[in-house]
Amino acid sequence: MQKVLTGNQSAAWGAMCAKAQVVSAYPITPQTTIIEELADIVAKGLLDAKFIKVESEHSAMAGCIGAQAAGARTFTATSSQGLALMHELLHWAALARLPVVMANVNRAMAPGWSIWTDQNDSLAQRDTGWLQFYCESNQEVLDTTIQAYKIAEAVNLPVMLILDAFFLSHTYEAVDIPGQEATSKYLPPYKPSIYLNVDDPHAFGGIVPQDIYMEFRYKMQLAMDEALIAADKADDDFKAMFGRGYGVVEEYRLDGADYVLVTSGTVTSTTRTVIDDLQEKGHSVGLLKMKMLRPFPAEKVRKILSGRKRVAVLDRNISVGMGGVWSQEIRSVMYHLPEDQRPPIYDYIVGLGGRDVTPEFIEEIALDLEKRPVKDCDQVWIGLKE
Amino acid sequence: MSQKPIIYKSWRELPLMTASMGDTTVNKTGSWRNVEPHHVEQVAPCSLRCPAGNDVVGFVTLAAAGKLEEAWHLLAETTPFPGTCGRVCPHPCETECNRDHLGGAINIHSVERYIADYFMDKPPEQKPGTFSGKHVAVIGSGPAGLSCAYHLKRFGHAATVFEAHSKAGGMLRVGIPDYRLPPEVLDAEIRRIIDLGVEIITGSRVGKDVSFDQLVHKFDAVFAAVGFTNSRPLGAEGDDGDDVVPGIEVLRKINLGMDDGVGNKPLVVGGGNTAMDVARSLLRKGKDVSVIYRRTRYEMPAIAEEIDELLAEGIEITFLATPVEVLRENGKMTGVKCIRMKLGEPDASGRRRPVPIEGSEYVIEADCVITAIGETTDLEFLPDDIRAKTSWNIPADELGRTAFDKLYAGGDVADGAGTVTAAIGYGRRAAIAIDAAFRGKPVADNAAMSPSLRERTGYAIPFEEINTAYFEDLPRSEPGSLKVSERIKTLDEVHQGFSEADLEKEAKRCFSCGTCPACDNCYIFCPDAAISKVKDDKNKLYLVDIEYCKGCGICAAECPRGCIVMKAVR
Repeated sequence: MQKVLTGNQSAAWGAMCAKAQVVSAYPITPQTTIIEELADIVAKGLLDAKFIKVESEHSAMAGCIGAQAAGARTFTATSSQGLALMHELLHWAALARLPVVMANVNRAMAPGWSIWTDQNDSLAQRDTGWLQFYCESNQEVLDTTIQAYKIAEAVNLPVMLILDAFFLSHTYEAVDIPGQEATSKYLPPYKPSIYLNVDDPHAFGGIVPQDIYMEFRYKMQLAMDEALIAADKADDDFKAMFGRGYGVVEEYRLDGADYVLVTSGTVTSTTRTVIDDLQEKGHSVGLLKMKMLRPFPAEKVRKILSGRKRVAVLDRNISVGMGGVWSQEIRSVMYHLPEDQRPPIYDYIVGLGGRDVTPEFIEEIALDLEKRPVKDCDQVWIGLKE
Repeated sequence: MSQKPIIYKSWRELPLMTASMGDTTVNKTGSWRNVEPHHVEQVAPCSLRCPAGNDVVGFVTLAAAGKLEEAWHLLAETTPFPGTCGRVCPHPCETECNRDHLGGAINIHSVERYIADYFMDKPPEQKPGTFSGKHVAVIGSGPAGLSCAYHLKRFGHAATVFEAHSKAGGMLRVGIPDYRLPPEVLDAEIRRIIDLGVEIITGSRVGKDVSFDQLVHKFDAVFAAVGFTNSRPLGAEGDDGDDVVPGIEVLRKINLGMDDGVGNKPLVVGGGNTAMDVARSLLRKGKDVSVIYRRTRYEMPAIAEEIDELLAEGIEITFLATPVEVLRENGKMTGVKCIRMKLGEPDASGRRRPVPIEGSEYVIEADCVITAIGETTDLEFLPDDIRAKTSWNIPADELGRTAFDKLYAGGDVADGAGTVTAAIGYGRRAAIAIDAAFRGKPVADNAAMSPSLRERTGYAIPFEEINTAYFEDLPRSEPGSLKVSERIKTLDEVHQGFSEADLEKEAKRCFSCGTCPACDNCYIFCPDAAISKVKDDKNKLYLVDIEYCKGCGICAAECPRGCIVMKAVR
């Protein structure tokens, strides 16, 4: 079934297709229409779920944690300050090994107050133990929501899928809704091995002494390693069943390209057209789309980028005092390649606070990459009013 | 599950998440405790305040559960007059109701009335107690007398009631207008008392048709409940004419269907219930009636709703003035000279004393004066030796016991409380005392309470103990009433009763303060699972396992209605 949906509606419909059983959420612009749509879906009886209105994002995640611990499939959504307020419980959900799925609409942090997109809110949650997927289109949002449950439940870790404020959240697109029967086949009901169960009682979340805490963290690392495989498998299975796949990274016109632009989120789709234009003009430039931040697809990135002449990472975020987060991640996984296979990696800061990242800016980056001295590769601010 | 400590040697042995693999019963958290919870049922403020001793929470919650017959029987433990009280009682229970802080007090009187009316035509069967061989004479068939006789019969004693008027009911019959208490309701409730086996002899005035000494001689005990029968005189110049009439006399005539015998422009003097009743009754007879009261609205002893309704019906009250002289021309009243008053220092009743303002006299047009400035007793029926030792009343303790052999007294003749419900309670307490005397037993301290509440140890849950998180802020329901334009033309009952839906809605608003309805909150919230449900024990609903109760108090905090108290461990 095809429907014209916004990115936010796509996330809601994804949760519906996945048959989330508990939705615990608190509204925040630009996420609000996700939970409005879900409230509507639940009220109409299209989804047999308990919709819990809560008084804060902290409680929204607490509600998901409780419900998931009791054996229910849960969904929530938030954005920006709301995600920041959840921070403590993001750790809790992950460390408790609860496969909660959440949509986060990327919105810049305040102050200054902004409701427009950039990635600082979700990137700031990089170390909480959540898997993170950055989406490019409404279709990808819906498909990733369904896939998220498959991956999360395979490795018992929570998944955050991310979409850009307004560019996706409030923009309409024709979206294909997978049939209920096929979705159920792809994603069987959630059956946790251990949960709050009066017939098999356990105490959850109690104190863990020094002699086993590290072991629990080691098991989480192993689960993240597993997630690399599980994410590929979830995507392959999805493609086999529904004809659409995305990959945790995507190479676009990279064959033989000397220069590589690395993007995430909606900047990717703009960059695709710039690459087409530049290749037509004879430039040897291609695109690497990063979808997954955690676990970081290190092997794939190394393989794709080794031996290239130069790499430009477009960071719609800034870890002030250091630089863009994606570029740090990529540099760190490239470091132990032999020097002759290790291209210089340039960090371009773009589009903070929802500023448009236009084809002109992207072309400027591609051309700048060809000539800028390597010593100046850190933090190149694009479009800055000097 | 293992109760032994578990040692993990490898990460491979660990569970998926940080969940206990052993049994937490090894951790006996009870050792932390310095306070512990006790499930204690307490008496709600409404029940405590009911002059008749009704178990208010008991009958309201039974009504909420649709158990109307059980509710009726519970009321029957304390009162034979639920239909009457549901109409005329000033309901102090509602004044005390904790719901008043959340949407308005429960409309208790309407719930009581519904239960009574539901069974009015066909009351459930009630049996008298096994006959003891004792026989009690009751003087007066008002609420105190009939309540006493009813309970005596329930306790197994014979009771004969002597009534001076031609119809039983006392003030219920002759003092309360039909628009507040329809005669059919009173008839039905008295019929029920007679059906239980109480003998009522009407038209028999003690002191005239039968002597007090005869009663004392013939019966095992005598309960005097003759009430207030005499009106206080006006105390104004010229108040001795036929056109100055006691209010209770006028009410009696109207209630018995007789001609009221007063003029067309009556002036009612007084601010109590008799004044309100007589003024509103005369209005319904088409009279141009007004009221004069020497103090202000604030000091009026009448039931507030009755004052509101009188004013709504268009009757004017002149405040801060009192008659000083009745003016007549050719023997016919033309008006009443009144004097303006101001309020001075408080008097013995605590109300501010009215003081005349010199030179402020003025005339109110009237062709008759109805006095309703207080009633008093008529103790002429007592033999001289007893009469000499009484004042305006027959002194009695709260169980109706007097200093005189075989004589008990209650109701207005003993305490002058002036309400039907107080009289019903007094009659019942006297019946308990008489029963105890017959059986040679002491009277328990809490005998005035409904038997259903006597085991309870705590009293009067304050609103602060109600956990309002569990109750919706729902408004109080009011049954309909006749429009002013309709009701002033007839003696039809002003207030209607609840519909079935209203009853359910209203009864379900009850917090049931202090009465555990087994909501399971304590069981659910106990973080140590130390509270278990008890099966097959009517008196005990929950058990606290003190080996594990660490005294956190969450159960008490989450109890919606104050049924759990924390006590220090000694």
